[in-house]
Amino acid sequence: MFELYAARKHLTARRRQTLLAVGAVALAVTITILFRSLINGFEGTINDIIFQFVPHVTVLPKDGESRIYLYKTLLDAVWTIPGVTAASPALSTAASLSYGGKVENVVLRGVVPDELNKISRIGLDYMVEGDLDSIEIGRRVALDREMAERLDLKLGDTVRASFPDARTLNLVVTGIFDTGGFSTNYAYVSMKTARDFLGEGSVITEVQIKLDDIYRADEVAASLRELGYNAESWQSQSGIVESIQSRRLSNTMIMLLVIIISAFGIANIMNLLVLEKTREIGMMMAMGATSSIIRRIFLIEAGVLGLAGGTAGCLIGYGIAAYVNSLAIALSSGPGFSIYLNFVVDPRDLLIFPLVTLLLSVAAGVYPAHQASKLDPVVALRG
Amino acid sequence: MSKIIDIKKLRKVYGDGVELVALDDVDLTIEEGEVLSIVGPSGSGKSTLLNMIGLLDTPTSGEIWLKGQNITKATPAERARLRNKELGFIFQFHHLLPEFNAVENVMMPLLIAGVERKEARQRAIDLLEEVGLGDRLNNRPNQLSGGQNQRVAVARALAGHPSIVIGDEPTGNLDTKSSDMIYELLRKLNREMNQTFILVTHDMAMAEKTDRILRLVDGRIVCEMRREGDEFVSHDLCHLD
Ligand SMILES: Nc1ncnc2c1ncn2[C@@H]1O[C@H](COP(=O)(O)OP(=O)(O)O)[C@@H](O)[C@H]1O
Ligand SMILES: [Mg+2]
Repeated sequence: MFELYAARKHLTARRRQTLLAVGAVALAVTITILFRSLINGFEGTINDIIFQFVPHVTVLPKDGESRIYLYKTLLDAVWTIPGVTAASPALSTAASLSYGGKVENVVLRGVVPDELNKISRIGLDYMVEGDLDSIEIGRRVALDREMAERLDLKLGDTVRASFPDARTLNLVVTGIFDTGGFSTNYAYVSMKTARDFLGEGSVITEVQIKLDDIYRADEVAASLRELGYNAESWQSQSGIVESIQSRRLSNTMIMLLVIIISAFGIANIMNLLVLEKTREIGMMMAMGATSSIIRRIFLIEAGVLGLAGGTAGCLIGYGIAAYVNSLAIALSSGPGFSIYLNFVVDPRDLLIFPLVTLLLSVAAGVYPAHQASKLDPVVALRG
Repeated sequence: MSKIIDIKKLRKVYGDGVELVALDDVDLTIEEGEVLSIVGPSGSGKSTLLNMIGLLDTPTSGEIWLKGQNITKATPAERARLRNKELGFIFQFHHLLPEFNAVENVMMPLLIAGVERKEARQRAIDLLEEVGLGDRLNNRPNQLSGGQNQRVAVARALAGHPSIVIGDEPTGNLDTKSSDMIYELLRKLNREMNQTFILVTHDMAMAEKTDRILRLVDGRIVCEMRREGDEFVSHDLCHLD
């Protein structure tokens, strides 16, 4: 086809301009790809954290009550919900820990270590000294390393737990964990120790639930509310959803901006090209090229620039992402985990971006191509 | 000889406020195989007339017939097709495409016509050899002299086997030696291929080598001279200078 041939000639003969145009689009796409994959990576990391530390659904006492009574019945009900992978009951209360004249306030939580481990793996992955299971013996406590440091506590020391209306207890420190700051204020004791502390019977204050699909949390919370309990999903609890959504929005804005800029670039290049080629367009018309042939030559050129730029940008973006990932740059870390600078390139982007730049470039080329096709050959030949 | 072009009362008026009559009811018949030259002062309407014949421009009134077909009101697509098939153009400036080498420039009308690349290429090479540029096939315009480029333009004008070749001051930018060479080339091609040539020129020496000279002043043909043997016979009152 003549149009293809002429367009190819223009592009290959004007190598510098072509490379410049392709480079500009490629740069825009590279930046966009990296931005998007960085945010994908962040979302992945946040999801991992949610997956590791945050219960997906938390069941709380019914309205007007401060405890969950008959909690075995509740647990049975929870386990009948499909997709539930863990249900950890807890009896939580505020408490003051004092040792050697220092006092810190904590959330004292009576838990079943085996069940808690299914929620946050604290006893499995995050212990730095001692263990979590030993709290089962009673009058034992496991607490965060930072809290232990504040109180100058070492493994084996006895700390005093007290609170107004509660029984003061002496607890032996048998476990110290470090989650990198996610649970500094939690101190874990056995369920029985917590009940002794509060003088309560067989009650709890919450059930933490894990699901195999974290995005079903809202639905599960709703079905528990139907049983009369208060139940919150991680989405409604943490504000994480809003932050992810606002990132998604700014992500889209960045894409839009970058793409518009590169489309303007293409339009500009095409306008210059048409101006520069006016006489030659006139000559092509004299040789019998129709308006549609002229239009197609420029549309093809714009399209090729966009497609090449988009493809190059994807390859470069993907390359940079893979390279940075291979460096494994740690942003933050604890004993059981690290957050790495992690680009997650969505494979769909690698297909979509060249297509988007192709379409946008063609769109940007429409007006200049139309101008070219509407030239009067007599005027054009005069230059 | 048969009529290839028949122009009837052709009129072209420019301007919306002040009217400028570029062609004033011109009647003209051109025979197949004729070499015609048009002379006249600058601004007399020579280019305007050529652009009408070349289907690059449309008249204000009057008719143009090409090979017995009234093409005055042909659609843009039909005009483009006729330009490609029936016409070859040589302008004062060669208007070669700078990205394309000599062969590629000459191939262009053929590629537009949809002729296969290989065939077009062979035709272009033959023509470039014909115009004496057989050793410059792969040179781009910026690697050739003005005269050489104009010869490439001649080859390009002839590539599609047009029945009419139009030259608007085709040697206007060349020195005498190159001009003569171009003219001899056109004449030779005319003899070999019996194409019709319509040339606008300022060069009386060149005009006097053609079959017929038309003198245009203020958009009218004021004088027509026809060659009879070695002599020009004037049909009207002519003041050739
Ligand atoms: N596009 C145009 N608009 C207005 N006037 C024009 C245009 N083209 C030509 N003219 C005028 O028409 C007259 C004839 O022009 P032209 O055919 O170019 O003359 P020539 O080729 O004999 O020098 C001139 O007066 C010129 O200024
Ligand atoms: Mg002129």
